[in-house]
Amino acid sequence: MKRLFLLLLVVAVTIELQAQNLGGGQVTGNFQIDAQLSRQDSSIGAEDVPQKLLSNVFANLLYTNGGFSAGIRFESYLDPLLGFNSQYKGAGIANKFMSYQGDMFEITAGNFYEQYGSGLIFRSYEDRNLGLDNAMMGVNVKIRPMDGIIIKTMVGKQRYYWDYGKGLVRGIDGEFSLNSIIKKFEESKTRVTLGAGFVSKYEEDQTILAPTDGFKLNLPLNVGAGSFRMDLAHGNWGLQAEYAIKSQDPNVLNNYIYKGGNALFVSASYSQKGLGINLQAKRIDNMGFKSERSLAGEMLYINYIPAMSKQHTYALMALYPAITQVNGEMGIQADVTYSIKKGTLLGGKYGTTLKMNYSQIMSIDKQPLEGSTTIGEMGTNGYTSNFFKVGDELYYQDFNVEISKKLSKKSKLALTYAYIAFNPIMENEHGDIHYNNVVVADYTYKMNSKNVLRGELQWLKSNIEYFDEDKRSGDWLMALVEWNFTSAFFLSVSDQYNYNGSKEHYYNVSVGYTHNTTRLQIGYGKQRKGLLCIGGVCREVPASNGLMISLTSSF
Amino acid sequence: MKKLLVSALALFLSIGVFAQEAKKSVLPDNISVKTLDGKTVQTSAFNNDGKPYILSFWATWCKPCLRELNTIKEVYEEWQEETGVKIIAVSIDDARGASRVKPLVNGSGWEYEVYIDQNQDLKRAMNVVNVPHTFIINGNGEIVWQHTSFVEGSEEELIELVKKVMNGEDISESK
Repeated sequence: MKRLFLLLLVVAVTIELQAQNLGGGQVTGNFQIDAQLSRQDSSIGAEDVPQKLLSNVFANLLYTNGGFSAGIRFESYLDPLLGFNSQYKGAGIANKFMSYQGDMFEITAGNFYEQYGSGLIFRSYEDRNLGLDNAMMGVNVKIRPMDGIIIKTMVGKQRYYWDYGKGLVRGIDGEFSLNSIIKKFEESKTRVTLGAGFVSKYEEDQTILAPTDGFKLNLPLNVGAGSFRMDLAHGNWGLQAEYAIKSQDPNVLNNYIYKGGNALFVSASYSQKGLGINLQAKRIDNMGFKSERSLAGEMLYINYIPAMSKQHTYALMALYPAITQVNGEMGIQADVTYSIKKGTLLGGKYGTTLKMNYSQIMSIDKQPLEGSTTIGEMGTNGYTSNFFKVGDELYYQDFNVEISKKLSKKSKLALTYAYIAFNPIMENEHGDIHYNNVVVADYTYKMNSKNVLRGELQWLKSNIEYFDEDKRSGDWLMALVEWNFTSAFFLSVSDQYNYNGSKEHYYNVSVGYTHNTTRLQIGYGKQRKGLLCIGGVCREVPASNGLMISLTSSF
Repeated sequence: MKKLLVSALALFLSIGVFAQEAKKSVLPDNISVKTLDGKTVQTSAFNNDGKPYILSFWATWCKPCLRELNTIKEVYEEWQEETGVKIIAVSIDDARGASRVKPLVNGSGWEYEVYIDQNQDLKRAMNVVNVPHTFIINGNGEIVWQHTSFVEGSEEELIELVKKVMNGEDISESK
């Protein structure tokens, strides 16, 4: 009897334990708090902040249990940091989802992020630093009927600050890895992946009058975009291409013309140990695709077209960034990474790395329609364009070389030179093209295993004389010194000096403390008015003078 | 006596349950990422034959990330010989940088296992806010340590921690 009792107990406890496993799951999360205190400073154009203190807060909570997961994100902007749209003002649950994944399928209800191919027809993503979030609210389903096939389909609306856009977005995409599908090619050295996608937007009619004759435009309620892509890899070689088209989509970006859009992106690469080469080309024609036709600005984009140039991280090199022109641009880019072996003349004792990058972005050819003299007239087909003809306006050009070398066990040096041509038309401004030469020296000295010093010297020489409004033109010098005590603590002091121009000093002092995944950073100084750009998408950051505190953590 | 046995058993099991609750976070195993040849793989394929490995999130535009991976490159062979540790480097580049990842990896001479997380599904699932963000995953797929940011010299701390994990030490509270 007692033995039976004992057995029962063991069984009961085992079941309970099992249940514990099932009911347990795991909770993880992260948060980010940014706070700003800024005061008026007319010399750099910093406006008065009547609230004194501004803050943005994000907190993510994620629960997972086997194939099930659910999450919420709290956001607050009380009030939003300088440069963030005032429509963000407020607090609440900005993002919530539930997801279940089985062997062959995955379904997400609520908010989700997804992209088809490289994003030419669809990409919903978030970039907190840009204040950009076009998360979908709806349902996303992925099916894997067999190894090598992924079918995705979704429906939803896009986030618009604390609301959702008016347009309904629906899509389907398939990706097929031929090597997995056709058994004969399983072990083949050549890997082939093909994909195709289609996205459609529905939006209610609205009244938009053509200026010439006053007639109401006959707007398409459904706009579709489709793309075909391939990815070939053969040993050291690689080739990727995607071609997309979009149906008639008169919208505020293209001045309500009825011409269809198209985009082509091609990338070829060769690499072996110590050498990597990448060549890219793209052509964009009228591909601004939003879920609300009459909304300007950076929100509610359904697709994503990145800038085809290197994303610079040194402050003065990033002063004049490339900005994607969704209405039309043609670009090429070449990128080379080469490691010179140790023990050779140029390689020295530790080896040397060379990086070279060239990009050029031009306008596309645009000719007026028959019987018309203007290009892009509202309510018409806009213009005609020869696909292979390069336009005659230069938007952006960048040639840069970086040599980095370990000099000794304790020190490293990286020298970078860039020649950047920047056409203000990318920012919808008029004026001459800026031609800039930029040089950066970046030196790291490891004093011992705990203390590391790093210094940067940057110099920008521009052909444009300083003019007051932009706070950017003219020549610049920048110096930065950073002391790191292990990876736990850092102190950095920097100054950007517009010596041939406004004569303004933008000094900055920052301290930071990191413990595992918790990072606290406090900065004090002046921030130049300008553009913060990530991936060709930019946000205007107004000038500020004061304190910036940032705390991030994940658990 | 039997009562004692039963109590002891119950106690033992509750400890088991308690330990269960204090379980470490595990690596999500059902997220899709791409290899440099464009093949889709699930994170359940991440392993190092039962030994710990380092999982590092990076991007082509992130200077500290490149410094971290270049610094470790110098000592990676030594690390592998000594400890058998492996590095899995996950790029979060979007369409702008993704096609530059493979040439950069090979051109820099990195011998790591590299994946691309273009839609940032893995980044979100692992609560990565900023890059570089580095994890140590033990042989059971549990996250035993994580850290953001990199400076020269912290690679030495990293390998010391990996060695401790190999010896079965608990490093969750160490820096």
